[in-house]
Amino acid sequence: MVITPIIGLEVHIELKTKSKMFCGCDATHFHVKPNTHTCPVCLGLPGALPVPNKTACEWCIKLGLALGCTINEETFFERKNYFYPDLAKGYQITQLQKPFAVNGKITIDGHVIRVNRAHMEEDTGKSIHLNGETLLDFNRSGVPLVEIVSEPDITLPEEAKKYLLKIQQIVRYLGISDADIEKGSMRCEPTINLEIDGQFTPLVEIKNIASLTGVMTAIQYEIDRQTEQYSQDKITKNSTNKTTRGWDADKNQTFLQRDKEGSADYRYFPEPDIPPIIFTKDQIDKIKNTIPEMPDAKITKYKSLNLSDYDANLLSENQIFSSIFDKVLSKSSDPKFAKFIANLLIGPLKTIEIDINKINPIFFKNLFDKKSELSSTAIKQLILDSYNSSVDPLVLAKKQNLFQVSDTGTIEEIAKKVLADNPKAVADYQKNPLSIGFLVGKVMQESKGSANPILAKEILEKLLK
Amino acid sequence: MLLDKTILELATGLRSGEFTSVDLVNECYDNIAKYNDKVNAFITIIPRETALKQAQEIDCKLKIACLPARQENCKLLAGIPFVLKDCFCTEGIKTTSASKVLENFIPPYSATIYKKLLDAGAILIGKMNMDAWGHGGSSENTDFGSVKNPWDTTRVAGGSGGGPAVAVATRMCVFAVGEDTGGSIRNPAGWTNTTGLKVTYGRVSRYGAIAYASSFDTVGPVAKTVEDCAIILETIAGVDKFDATSSPNPVPQYSKLLNKNLSEITIGIPKEFYGDGLDLEIKEKVLQVAADLKKSGAKIKEISMPLFDLCLPVYYLIAPSETSSNLARYDGIRYGNNRDNFTDETIRRILIGTYALSAGYYDAYYKKAQQVRTLFIEEYQKALSQCDILLQPIMPNNPPKFGQLLSDPLQNLLADIYTVSQNPVGVPSLAIPCGFTKSGLPIGAQIIGKMFSEELLLSIGHEYQKLTDFHTKKPNLQI
Repeated sequence: MVITPIIGLEVHIELKTKSKMFCGCDATHFHVKPNTHTCPVCLGLPGALPVPNKTACEWCIKLGLALGCTINEETFFERKNYFYPDLAKGYQITQLQKPFAVNGKITIDGHVIRVNRAHMEEDTGKSIHLNGETLLDFNRSGVPLVEIVSEPDITLPEEAKKYLLKIQQIVRYLGISDADIEKGSMRCEPTINLEIDGQFTPLVEIKNIASLTGVMTAIQYEIDRQTEQYSQDKITKNSTNKTTRGWDADKNQTFLQRDKEGSADYRYFPEPDIPPIIFTKDQIDKIKNTIPEMPDAKITKYKSLNLSDYDANLLSENQIFSSIFDKVLSKSSDPKFAKFIANLLIGPLKTIEIDINKINPIFFKNLFDKKSELSSTAIKQLILDSYNSSVDPLVLAKKQNLFQVSDTGTIEEIAKKVLADNPKAVADYQKNPLSIGFLVGKVMQESKGSANPILAKEILEKLLK
Repeated sequence: MLLDKTILELATGLRSGEFTSVDLVNECYDNIAKYNDKVNAFITIIPRETALKQAQEIDCKLKIACLPARQENCKLLAGIPFVLKDCFCTEGIKTTSASKVLENFIPPYSATIYKKLLDAGAILIGKMNMDAWGHGGSSENTDFGSVKNPWDTTRVAGGSGGGPAVAVATRMCVFAVGEDTGGSIRNPAGWTNTTGLKVTYGRVSRYGAIAYASSFDTVGPVAKTVEDCAIILETIAGVDKFDATSSPNPVPQYSKLLNKNLSEITIGIPKEFYGDGLDLEIKEKVLQVAADLKKSGAKIKEISMPLFDLCLPVYYLIAPSETSSNLARYDGIRYGNNRDNFTDETIRRILIGTYALSAGYYDAYYKKAQQVRTLFIEEYQKALSQCDILLQPIMPNNPPKFGQLLSDPLQNLLADIYTVSQNPVGVPSLAIPCGFTKSGLPIGAQIIGKMFSEELLLSIGHEYQKLTDFHTKKPNLQI
């Protein structure tokens, strides 16, 4: 039996524009007092009209371009009619026939996942079920969403996760969304069926997945469930047997939510309250020019500087990080320098929240040039201190006496004192020369870290002969 | 009676101290007390004291404004009492769209046109009866009792804006603002001897006007004269950041551009609009408008609009489709009353629209209708390339007796044949009184122009009202 999972993903990205999609209300809604960010438009009051948010449309195009999509110069909005208590107008304004962006792709480990479309729509309100009552909060109503629909090109749960991470990385690079799955600013609805020996199982769409691991476990669960189901009933896919299943993260299983999805009729028609949206080639080019260098391009660039795959990936992971790296790298493109910065960024600087404007590339270069005279502990501390104080790390190093002493005379003085003070260690050394590390440590301690450890070891060995 | 005067005459009188806004407001309320019970035009009457308080404030301002240096600061509509069709949201004032579903709806915000009128100093005295949601042409499809025609109270007043037109005809206000989706301003204007303007789509903001069919809905004035309409239009027109379909075209000072030489004007008579089904008396009076304007130098040309009778199916597929979606929000969760409060006519339109948009029927109905709509746009462009304006009747018959249209829904739709073709196209149309039947019922004609040709339509209408006095006649309601 040959089983191939066929997985397509619908991903919703909540844009972090200041205002909502069709009105001027504040678009933030996470931990906001219910129904405080609302107006006649997003409450769907009689007579209110939607006016599209230009920034949101531009961001949708920007995202489309970053996904390699073709941009439709003329698009329009449509109404998707359905009933739900938190859908204020009784319809959602979205796009069906002419999305902003079509035909893009995302490459995962060399495998191309085709992107069917990226379109603009509005979020619904929220139903809160409490003590047998349902409460409605319309703060989220009308928040701009981009829906990215993939072709069913994904074949593994792991690949679905990587696809999501990639989208997350891209939108964060573009600065258009937090894309936080836990907070709901990125949502994913996989549609799955299986090809089993040339037969196709019925389509299943999974809803309510609230974490990245959830996406993987839910897909894997559904693959197993469908395999089992098919072995029992041999039912194959047709145009009316698509179902929707919910994901129960506590029980780690999916459950049937809606049957016969094929018969749902949303009665789409062009939104008469909004004229067609036109973006000229020039305007689209302008948007294109605001797109920063994308992670894939950065990884290639970093690898060409002899950085390891691991370092290259880590550095390009988030945009602030890689911008800092690029900024510092502007001082020298010596691969050794690259490795040096990479280590600092991935090491000490990763522990704090960095503001790129406070980064002075010269500091890195100065440290790099004097790195042989400083201990690695000192370098780590100096880069943090210089970042916080905006003082040249070399000045700090001098002040704190961190330059390693390479004057054999001084080190010898200290070494003699250490040998005299630690007869037991000297005796140990006679039995086991490897135990010299203890004495070197004592010398370093006595010199307050300023002694060059290699030199200290040589001198100790000489004295102990 | 002060309320027989035009807005310009009233504005002059208010400034010269001949009478006050308080006098005007009092006269309105006296007439409401006398006539409203007979015609049932109001759904909500603003408390007299509220209106009087505003009038007193305006009177004070106008006194100061009498100093010539400040006169410009006071708008012509300052101190003028008006009414709104009950489809316009008015903050803090009940707004029902004549449906029980919104029986207790008090909007927390105001329609753009209402704000503009308040800014101009006009005084709202009432919200007017209509066919619920704009669904109808007789103001019988209302949950607040039918509006009666003041020229014969056994007959309908027309619709959907029956209330606003009747209020103007019976001098219960100076002017009204209505909403026209397929004749809702023009039809009652024609049947009540008032003047009404269906504006170009996008000329006036729709923000706060409860939607019937969003791509047809237009907001416009109803008044006693064309000149009054011009003054109201220049106050309410213009681009609105809250309405994405409002036009950025500049708004001319229509009332100052009314006097034009008509010798260069050609009036088109589309012969299809004068065929079978048109009452002969109405036909004669409407064509007489062309003959009268000919005296002022206008030329007359017969033209053809062969697609004419397709306008009904286009209108009655697209408008119900849009309304089925627009009314979805009244789901019983938010506005108190459930949807079982919709009337039969409204339910009929929701069902037709839902059907036309359904998978499997969309192409045959909604989409086909939109394609024919495009043909109609071309048809009007073609017609208006051969002439400057089109002269058409408004209604094929005289206002029917109560129940006549309601009991025959199809006849009800057919009565709209002359007023539903302009809205899918977007062109403006001015309805003007043009005579009376032998039995004394008013007859109206409409003149239609190119997109944004309100200036031309108003100047031709104004010229016609200089030549005739039909528009000055008012019904004689026995008390």
